[in-house]
Amino acid sequence: MATVVEGGRDQRGSVTPRPQAPISGPELANTPLVIRRREDEETVVTFPYLVWREFLAGLAAFVFLMLVSIQVNAPLLQKANVSITPNPAKAPWYFVGLQELLERFPPIMAGVAFPSFVIIFMILTPYLDRNPSRRPQDRRVAIVLFTVFVCLSVAFVVIGEFFRGEAFNWDWTLILGHPGLSSPV
Amino acid sequence: MSATPGEANPVRAFVAQLWGSVFRHGLPTNDKVAARTALTNFFLHIHPVRVKKSAVRVSYTLCLGGLSFFLFILLTITGLFLMFYYIPSVDSAYQNVKDLQFVAVFGDIIRNMHRWAAHAMVITVWLHMARVFYQGAYKPPREFNWVIGTFLLLITLLLSFSGYLLPWDQLAIWAITVGTNMAKYAPIVGPYTRYLLLGGDQVAQGALIRFYVLHVIALPLIGFLLMVVHFWRVRKDGFTGGL
Repeated sequence: MATVVEGGRDQRGSVTPRPQAPISGPELANTPLVIRRREDEETVVTFPYLVWREFLAGLAAFVFLMLVSIQVNAPLLQKANVSITPNPAKAPWYFVGLQELLERFPPIMAGVAFPSFVIIFMILTPYLDRNPSRRPQDRRVAIVLFTVFVCLSVAFVVIGEFFRGEAFNWDWTLILGHPGLSSPV
Repeated sequence: MSATPGEANPVRAFVAQLWGSVFRHGLPTNDKVAARTALTNFFLHIHPVRVKKSAVRVSYTLCLGGLSFFLFILLTITGLFLMFYYIPSVDSAYQNVKDLQFVAVFGDIIRNMHRWAAHAMVITVWLHMARVFYQGAYKPPREFNWVIGTFLLLITLLLSFSGYLLPWDQLAIWAITVGTNMAKYAPIVGPYTRYLLLGGDQVAQGALIRFYVLHVIALPLIGFLLMVVHFWRVRKDGFTGGL
């Protein structure tokens, strides 16, 4: 914490500590017994401190998307035709993991049980996790479980998107290219 | 900065009055003015006046929630432009999108941006959820805001999914066919859900108009309402900040 000019800003931005008047007498009895770390007390005015950072983040995202949009065209294939089924027919990438599950498990499991379980479990997470601590070292089980979930979700999407070719069969050539050709096709 | 009564120059006095009528306070030269500006400005009021520094550190939030909201706004604006050209009919939809891509001035950039921002939003919302989980920020008293966030993630996926059909090309119709076929597997309600969603047995005009209405009105409105509550509760439930 840098030195603070009364009612003003220090050199690192608009940072002022909350006034810490000594508490005594009846006031003390009503004060909750919470010991706060010094840095918790350090506050900033959201305007302009936070708003400026948000503006910069938004600007960076906009410039990035603009550059991508100039360079890369959104896909547009032939006009929709119900009589021509593309092979493979794939769901949008964020549902391709679900499609991959359907390939491996009976539909009632992959299409209904797993997704419902994930959604319900996700909604109930804060009520099931009774551990009050937020420190990573106190919540190893929660972190490991969630990490397994994240890795599985990402893996199924990657497999469905990049390793499934015709008829949704396993296909290395999508990323490795056809044998005998120098570059991936 | 308000109109000073003693101002000799009438033009300057008028400009000062005009400025003062729009912005109640001047530029934030110190914390007091900054706080008053935040309090009296509708748009800045999304934030509290002061916040714990550790709660808004970029290395803590990774800007993911804010970026998701920014992408939602960007998608609303680019989507509005696309709506001027797009007619949700199986006869014209594909040609409208072709015109956007090849004829309309900047149409390609607007459409590309809408598409890539939509993919990006699915990713940022997902990462935001992961970030909140790893920091245990869903713990009391913020349990219910996590629940709202879960629904916002689902809304984001549904928004992206419903938009997928609109170009009415081979990618669109078959991705939606595959996606909605998954709904069939639910016992009893499955086939009915699919019929309700598609307005028929296969992806045709009925599905296009349903997905269009969901995509441009229903889901954005529900999403916006949930977002308002989500942001309100971020303020009211208090900030977590550094671990």
